[in-house]
Amino acid sequence: MNGANSSSVVGGGGVIVEARDLVISFGETPALRGASVSVKRGEVLAVMGPSGSGKSTLLYCLAGILVPDSGGVSFDGQRLDTMREEQRSRLRRDRFGFVFQSGQLVPELTAEENVALPLLLGGTHRKEALRGARAWFERLELDGLERHRAGEMSGGQAQRVALARGLVAHPDVLFADEPTGSLDSLTGELVMSLMTGAAREEGTTVVLVTHEPRVAAYADREVIVRDGRVTTIATVAG
Amino acid sequence: MALLGLLDREPSHGYDLKRDYDTYFARGRPLPFGQVYATLARLARDGKAVAGDAEPGGGPDRKRYAITPTGKYEVEAWLGEPIPAEPYLQTDLFVKVLLSLMLGRPAEEYLDAQRATHLRRMRELTDLKQQGNLVDALLADHGLFHLDADLRWIDLTAARLAALAEEVAS
Amino acid sequence: MIRLGLRLTLGSGREAALRVLVTAAAVALGVGLLLASLAGVNGLHAQTDRGAWLDTSAQSSRPASTSGQLWWLSGTDQFGNQEIDRVDIAAAGPGAPVPPGIAHLPGPGEYDVSPALMALFKSESANELRERYPGHQIGTIGAAALPSPNSLIIVIGHTARQLSQAPGAVEVGAIQRTPSSCYACQNTGGSGAVLQFILVGGAVALLLPVLILIATASRLSAARREERFAAMRLVGATPRQISVVSAVEAVVAAVAGVAVGFALFFAFRPLLYHVPFTGAPLAAGDLSLRWTDIVLAVIGVPVAAVVSARLALRRVRISPLGVQRRASSRLPRIARIIPLLAGIAVLAYFDAAGKPGAVGGQLLELLAGFVLLIVGLVLAGPWFTTAGARLMASRASRPATLIAGRRLLDNPKAAFRFIGGLVIALFVGSAAIGALSSIAAASSSGGGSAGRGTLAEPFCSFSTSNCPASAQVPSVPGQVLAGLRTTPGVRSVTLVHQGPSQAEQMKSFGVVACNQLARTPAIGKCAPGETVASVGYFFSHLLGHNSHASSTIWPSANMSVASAARLPVDAVVVATDGSPGSLERARTTLERDFPFQGAAVAVDAFDPSTARLLTMIQDMTDVVIVASLIIASCSLAVNIAAGLGERKRSFSLLRLTGVPTGLLHRVVALESALPLLLVAAVSIVVGLVSAALYLHSQVGIAFSIPGIPYWATVIGGLAVSLAIIASTFPLLTRMTGPEVARNE
Repeated sequence: MNGANSSSVVGGGGVIVEARDLVISFGETPALRGASVSVKRGEVLAVMGPSGSGKSTLLYCLAGILVPDSGGVSFDGQRLDTMREEQRSRLRRDRFGFVFQSGQLVPELTAEENVALPLLLGGTHRKEALRGARAWFERLELDGLERHRAGEMSGGQAQRVALARGLVAHPDVLFADEPTGSLDSLTGELVMSLMTGAAREEGTTVVLVTHEPRVAAYADREVIVRDGRVTTIATVAG
Repeated sequence: MALLGLLDREPSHGYDLKRDYDTYFARGRPLPFGQVYATLARLARDGKAVAGDAEPGGGPDRKRYAITPTGKYEVEAWLGEPIPAEPYLQTDLFVKVLLSLMLGRPAEEYLDAQRATHLRRMRELTDLKQQGNLVDALLADHGLFHLDADLRWIDLTAARLAALAEEVAS
Repeated sequence: MIRLGLRLTLGSGREAALRVLVTAAAVALGVGLLLASLAGVNGLHAQTDRGAWLDTSAQSSRPASTSGQLWWLSGTDQFGNQEIDRVDIAAAGPGAPVPPGIAHLPGPGEYDVSPALMALFKSESANELRERYPGHQIGTIGAAALPSPNSLIIVIGHTARQLSQAPGAVEVGAIQRTPSSCYACQNTGGSGAVLQFILVGGAVALLLPVLILIATASRLSAARREERFAAMRLVGATPRQISVVSAVEAVVAAVAGVAVGFALFFAFRPLLYHVPFTGAPLAAGDLSLRWTDIVLAVIGVPVAAVVSARLALRRVRISPLGVQRRASSRLPRIARIIPLLAGIAVLAYFDAAGKPGAVGGQLLELLAGFVLLIVGLVLAGPWFTTAGARLMASRASRPATLIAGRRLLDNPKAAFRFIGGLVIALFVGSAAIGALSSIAAASSSGGGSAGRGTLAEPFCSFSTSNCPASAQVPSVPGQVLAGLRTTPGVRSVTLVHQGPSQAEQMKSFGVVACNQLARTPAIGKCAPGETVASVGYFFSHLLGHNSHASSTIWPSANMSVASAARLPVDAVVVATDGSPGSLERARTTLERDFPFQGAAVAVDAFDPSTARLLTMIQDMTDVVIVASLIIASCSLAVNIAAGLGERKRSFSLLRLTGVPTGLLHRVVALESALPLLLVAAVSIVVGLVSAALYLHSQVGIAFSIPGIPYWATVIGGLAVSLAIIASTFPLLTRMTGPEVARNE
């Protein structure tokens, strides 16, 4: 059952994001010491590990937010670590989506405007962008919250809005950093269920950082980051 | 106890009881017929259930069983009493870790392999949750939480391996 | 508790240190401004004191005996647009008092001049200046008697008999030592009180934004500090102890600020001498501070700083459970613009209905209208901000505009708070400059250049004050007329004879032969067929009454040319070609030929002291406008930095998702620039419109748009403000880097 599901979704195969021997330090402290990982197109990958292990740093390197001191990151064939900041920034804007643990919504804007933000940034006209945004509200069980502001929602609702914002521009990859970290179990399960469901419908690859096994269980496979290195015990389960 | 509880709901034939048990409680491990009838016979002997008249056609499976007041009382008592909170010792894994430390084998690798297995099982359960109904989900969550607890123990043990090795060696 | 407060203030990290630093800087700015204004007022007083002796003739007391007396006649002359103070004196007996700055009284045929005037004598042709004054120079006037180093003063000696017959000469027993306050005083042109009012008003207009800046500075990282206070309360500190701690921080900042402010003042004092506080340069040492000034600055500004810092935190209650956010306020309603509209309506009504006859009514209109407008602008400011923000947010197609608009809508009152002080400065400044440039334009257009090039020497009977019969001029000798006519640059000479009935003041001042009048068109025209016209007052007033004398057609006086020519002469009008040299030559000839009759003035131009006052007002207004803009934008910049703490996380996460920093910069710029530009525009427009309405209704002058210097000042000031706001961008970029987003 497990194999059938995951292999039918991980269709087309092919590696979409790859990191090789990443080394990066913040001041004196080394965060990654030669981490490598390959992410297949369309899969949901969980990056696990204890706190301080460097898993968020690995995520940031994969997403082109941080440039490693040595080692290479490539996305869809292009090298990320050699790009200039403006190019990487544009890539993040156009091809990636992000969900963080909290605090990512613009508090002054309504929920639908927050979701529409990536579209507006891409130059879509306001009416069209809002229309595209609204389509996500029903999909993520957020009916009626379109005009609410970030401060007027529960944590779970805010994370779902953040999820909609991450997916609204049909990104190739969705990067999620502890998306359920501030939520209780039931709300977290809902968010994870919707996230993986929507991503699979859209064919979006998901790279998810978490320290909770129950959250990682929503992924197709997991890698463990320990002491700045990546260990993969089993790839796709047999 | 599960069969008695099912009987409390309505008098049933043994066949129906087994079917219901398999649907709700057994999940992948169906109850053997023999065990069903043996349990029913014991319940009757203890006065918690009574066998109704046999219907024409003979055979123990044609008997309809019903719960007695004694049985009802027992179900009630059992429902109301919490399960003793005994720690659920993963005896095998525990032994594995200690032994490998004593024998100087890589305990960490064993723990990693166990973790991967646990995670694989958790993935299966999660898929189940998303596809099945609410009852399935309840069952799956139960399993998931336990596996989660196991994983926490595994993580903690993995962090303590060095100290454990010293203590075992002395 | 105080020691704890000191440790918390000085040792709790970069953000707290920054707050103390910025507050101290704001206090320093306030102290420096206050000291500069006080020094300016002191400088004004110093000048006035030195020039007190010029008003000796204003004394009302008359001496008892003839010994120790002085004949005294003072008046003003001009050269170009510079004013010359002329004092004619004669000793009435031995022991006559000597004016300050000279060793002894000049005798007949002698005079003393100030150094600046001496330099002019050397540099200008004699027939344009020096020949006005009879005699030769015997000495210079010392600095103690000069209001300003640039003062042009001449003290001319005469015999007592000569001077006693001059119209307006009085006998005095002592030289005036203290400044007298009289309107017609010569000393600083009688505008001492006005100047003081302007200086103080300008200082207040600048201090208000500084106080706001101080309050804003206390908001920096206020959240962190409030959390710390809440933690202290949790551990058991009483509210009183908390206020002691926060007071310590305020006092430290204030003390540092006062010290730096004093240092700044003394460091920049040499530059201050270039600021036109009074229109005339100050002598070295004039910008001094009295001890009362020092006490005021040392105590007053820190107290104001502490008070405004407390007010800034007023809305936040510190309880042990943490900081309780103030409730969000309602949006400003449109009813707020009523006072503003009312103010404009008042002025417009008076414009349409005609000005009230009484002076009291005029003043009432002015006061009511302008007070309503100032209050109206301050009240309506938040509404304008809201309206602009609504427009921005609803029509926004770009995300930056959307976010900025929404944030402004969140709390428009707070957004407007920093520009409140600016509003007053811009409104009053624009109204003042609007009025001044219209007056200048009207005076230069009315009468045309002919008016400026036409001089008139009015004899004493031309004025409304008493003129002894001995001072009247029965006729002008022929050689004097010939001498006038042959002065280079003079086109024609017209005599105005004494009108038959002087009781009707302002109606008929004199009679003129029409053939002469035709040659000096600046003072009016005859009707066709007239031979003798009776003319009224043809000089231009300050605010433009009768500035169109040149277009006036005077009525006929019923007499013949011959009988008119027999009447005593009241004024000599000389039309020149308008060049500065010709004007001065004509002036010199007139004053030489008619001594003791006062100076010749151009028919249609401002007298120098008024011109100087107007220029000074204009310069000070420019300074106040620019300084207000700069201080307000400093407040805005500090506010941006303070608000950054709240938005750090969401901004940095936005940057991580690929949002370009340029967008964040635009958001921050729009949030600050929109209220600033909008409110500035409204204040300026309202200021100019109210000036136009007032001028049109009260003074009868058409409004003309101020010239390039004004717009350059305003646009320059706004550009500097925007630059200051933009200077926070690097801070924004640095504070929202990816390190901030890591989950701790």
